[in-house]
Amino acid sequence: MRFLPLSLLVHALGCWAIHESDVGVVDWYKSLIGVPLAAPQPTTPKFTLVEGKDVILTATESNILASLNVDDGSIRWRVAYDPEDRITGFYQNGDALVTLSGPGGAISRSIDLKTGQIIFEQRLHSNSEATIIQPHVAFDPSSQDIYTLSNGYIVTRLDQKTGTPAWSWSGQDQSSLTTYTHLLATPDTIFAIGVSTSFASYTLHITSLSASTGEVLASSELPSSIHSPAVDLFAFAKEAPVVAWLEQGKVKSLALTPNLKDKKAQVSSSGPFEELVDVGLPGVLVGKAGQESTVLSFDGSKFTSEKVLGEHDVAVKYAGSSVNGKRYVAKSEGPIIEVTGLDSDESAILFPYDADDTLSHYSIHTSSVGVPRVLVVTTSGAVQLFVNGELKWTREEGLTTSLLAEFVELPERISAEGEATKDEPFAHRLQRHAVLAQDFPQYLKSFVRRFVTGSYASATSSAVASTDGALSRDAFGFRQMIVTVTLLGKVYGIDSSNGNVLWSQLLGTGILPFKVFSLKTVSDGVDPEVVIIAVRQLPEGHETVVFHLNALTGENLAGPSVFRGSIAKAFLLDQSSKFVILVDETLKVHYYPNNGETRTAFKKVHTTLSFPMHLIKEKEHSLAGYQFAVGEGEQVVATPAWSLPLSPGEEVQRILPPSARGPVASVGKVLGNRTTLYKYLNPRLFTALTVTSTKDLCGLYLFDSAKGTVVYQVRIPADNGACDVKTALIENWLVYHYYESEVSSGNVQGTKGYRVVSVELYEGRGIDDKIGSSDMTSYANASTAVFTFEDSFTFPYALTALAPTNTKFGISSKDLIVATKNHKVQSFPRRLLDPRRPRRKPTSQEAEEGLFQYDPIIYDDPKRVISHSYEVANVRQLVTAPALLESTSLVFAFGLDMFVSRVAPSGTFDVLSESFNKPQLVLTITGLVVAIMFTRPMVQRKRLREKWYM
Amino acid sequence: MSRVLEYSSLESSAKWSKLPPPPGFSVQPSASKSSGKKPIAATKTKDSFDGIKEKRAWDFATSPAKQLPMQAFMLYMSGGGVQIFSMGIVFMLLMTPFKNIFAMNEAFAQFAPSSSKDPKATSTLIVQKLLYVVCNLLTLGVGLWKCRSMGLLPTGSGDWLAFETRGPAPEIALY
Repeated sequence: MRFLPLSLLVHALGCWAIHESDVGVVDWYKSLIGVPLAAPQPTTPKFTLVEGKDVILTATESNILASLNVDDGSIRWRVAYDPEDRITGFYQNGDALVTLSGPGGAISRSIDLKTGQIIFEQRLHSNSEATIIQPHVAFDPSSQDIYTLSNGYIVTRLDQKTGTPAWSWSGQDQSSLTTYTHLLATPDTIFAIGVSTSFASYTLHITSLSASTGEVLASSELPSSIHSPAVDLFAFAKEAPVVAWLEQGKVKSLALTPNLKDKKAQVSSSGPFEELVDVGLPGVLVGKAGQESTVLSFDGSKFTSEKVLGEHDVAVKYAGSSVNGKRYVAKSEGPIIEVTGLDSDESAILFPYDADDTLSHYSIHTSSVGVPRVLVVTTSGAVQLFVNGELKWTREEGLTTSLLAEFVELPERISAEGEATKDEPFAHRLQRHAVLAQDFPQYLKSFVRRFVTGSYASATSSAVASTDGALSRDAFGFRQMIVTVTLLGKVYGIDSSNGNVLWSQLLGTGILPFKVFSLKTVSDGVDPEVVIIAVRQLPEGHETVVFHLNALTGENLAGPSVFRGSIAKAFLLDQSSKFVILVDETLKVHYYPNNGETRTAFKKVHTTLSFPMHLIKEKEHSLAGYQFAVGEGEQVVATPAWSLPLSPGEEVQRILPPSARGPVASVGKVLGNRTTLYKYLNPRLFTALTVTSTKDLCGLYLFDSAKGTVVYQVRIPADNGACDVKTALIENWLVYHYYESEVSSGNVQGTKGYRVVSVELYEGRGIDDKIGSSDMTSYANASTAVFTFEDSFTFPYALTALAPTNTKFGISSKDLIVATKNHKVQSFPRRLLDPRRPRRKPTSQEAEEGLFQYDPIIYDDPKRVISHSYEVANVRQLVTAPALLESTSLVFAFGLDMFVSRVAPSGTFDVLSESFNKPQLVLTITGLVVAIMFTRPMVQRKRLREKWYM
Repeated sequence: MSRVLEYSSLESSAKWSKLPPPPGFSVQPSASKSSGKKPIAATKTKDSFDGIKEKRAWDFATSPAKQLPMQAFMLYMSGGGVQIFSMGIVFMLLMTPFKNIFAMNEAFAQFAPSSSKDPKATSTLIVQKLLYVVCNLLTLGVGLWKCRSMGLLPTGSGDWLAFETRGPAPEIALY
């Protein structure tokens, strides 16, 4: 047996799990729903009454169907639909909500309005024969049965309780010229309303079916000319089923009868209109003409002008609501929404709302007491409810579109003492000290209490904000600022200790964030600063914008700096000075901050820099490496240094940098017999993922970006032509996850399922061969001397994201944090994925290294689910950051939901355990001191006596 | 014939051998009787004592080697783990050879032949001392072997890994 304290540590790992008492203390979770959809009409947010409470129903861009409380904006329930199963509309049917989702409305579901539980699910047509035609749903007025119109030609009657189809009618097959878009139901007749293509425009086509059997009662083509059926055709039931459409600026309408004998459309006298808008009220349309909008309502035979809403601008949006038979129509005009009652003579209510950015869409609802409530969705994704013009609550749903995230350390708390000046008079100083001394008793008391009871900051308690409200870190650095940038052009500063949004800043519309860097950290002695690089889309092309923000407050430190053209690459160079290098699409180099200092700093190092990019030339993909050169007029440009053509048909998916950028604690791995495997730590390794769709293969390359040498390469079978390989390169450890489907050659090795492969790269030719790969130049011959160990394991889950833990000095082991498709964030220990696990019982030397017998299956260990019972849905990315404690790493998962937790992959070895008994220690020491005080004079007396009577 | 116990002659260096006899005592009471025998007896005694001392010196020189079986048994009993007992024995094994070698001249002084001028000089009894050093090195060897078997000797490259440093990379990849 040899002495290895590490082995003890490693064995202690096995029993780590999150405790129930830590939930909500070391982690937080924010459940989000996504930005509500506005179009088509069946997906717009709607207000409804459930169990006596007003709730909002909404379908979102993130493909979530959710119910929110109107009072506080909290989620009552939400149902996450699969990404390929887009929600096309939801329709309320009493206590149930019927949704159609998937292409052409392939699947119909009924959801309990109270609990969000699915009552039934019924497939209406297979996805393979689906079209993208907007489906429609109608309900039987008497039996509440459901009629669905899916795929543009299939009408099905479903039982409202069980979803069993009573009958199904298929219009014509797909090749026919008629597609149906609307469905209207009366107690005995169903009307399928659609259009037939004819020259230049569409003709209205209506089929009436028997409600009980699905037989065709009549089918009729109406003389009409509809320009765009998606926006110009409307159908609603108001006393009688009515179809309305816009034809050459005029509103035409027709009340339908089962035999479809009446083919004479009624023409409204008002108009002409450029556009008709459905505001969600049956029988009410808003006609837009020029700068004026008119409310039209159906009076039983035709549409008549009811109210003129007055002038509007281009960005006008309409909404309607009705309560107790009173109908209201709203019109937005800048930051004001004007609500007009149609059935009363009350004048328009001007309704100011104060959203922090421009309006995307809104829904209006008037409560029974007549208080108008407006649900506003802004372009940056904030969902806000205004009651009487007053903001009730905000949900930052824009966070579901987060693209980039960066942890920023907070500064230490500075005590608010008066600063001593250099030439301070003595009296002044005395006075200052006297003022400071008045806190002394308080300090002494707290010192004694802390000393005796040991009530220090605990590593397993929540990182609390300091009481004075100043933004500062906690003792262990668990409280940091997470700066996230969303697709919708907004930056948020999120407190990593509780998930509160501390600041947010709108970058502008049409902004696509590219990268975020932390330019200055607290160690620079100033407030941390972040730089966000984004591309703005302009009508005349792209421009690249650099925002420079204070990470604590979000304020702009410098006006955005801009250059024309899109950006190809952006890097943060962290050498003697920190600055950002931007390479635009023409390979010209720009700097931020752009000053003489950065330029000279860059000139000094530019010959040693390189970066990889992928090139597409005549549809042939290749990997290429670029270096910097000074071109004409002192302009620095990136020039290709090498290129590596891929095999024909092989396309580069992504080029990924190493996942961990922290320091490397050890350059080798010590084996049981005291020899060393030196890690291959080439800092210029990049991972490239490729796909060859013609051969159904995925590729993974590890290559040196300075020279272009491929160090490691593997071919992975694709899953039906798609490659979804998740990979991470941590120091010398490459881990990748993929789906192993049946191999097309028929030679199936093993089973279908998810695989994770772990590869370790070591330098030289074998044990104890040291070449110093981490500080070796790429151009040395030995730089690619590498050998590998690899092992493959079957993995229990599909993954959506994967990241290694990240600690301050890199001493703690690096566990793999994964976000699984079943909405969990789980950690997998490094030890489990060791490719050197022996195929037999480990020898004592192997056991000492912490190796145990290889098992092809990685078991799902629920103890390692760090998100425990939280439903962390659709995680797109995992970001890990070091805390001040070496043992602990912060994990931030974002996508739909946000989740932050702490993990200690090697146990919290650097903090005293919670069970450490400080009072006992203090008492023992005090007891001993007291005993010495008593016995010392006794001993002295005895000695003296001994000397006398010897 | 009276027998004389001449202790002083054992210690050639004894300072009192040259002292005059106290008053009333003659140096050699039987000198008149057997003057011819005396020097022979004295030399004989000296030689025999030197022989005994040399023998003792050889014994002493090999004594560390004689303890080895006992020490090996103790090591075996103390086991391979790093505990207070095994560590104590290992420390003893590592320390005693050095202690012995440093105190060697003192220890061998008592065995120095009467003819030697300086019994504490390294050159006296040099062969025995060399053997003594070798035997002590044997003990040390046993101690080191034990250390090695417990994994306490930094022999592998892994033991020096923590002291290895690497410089910055000459080329930097941007990402």
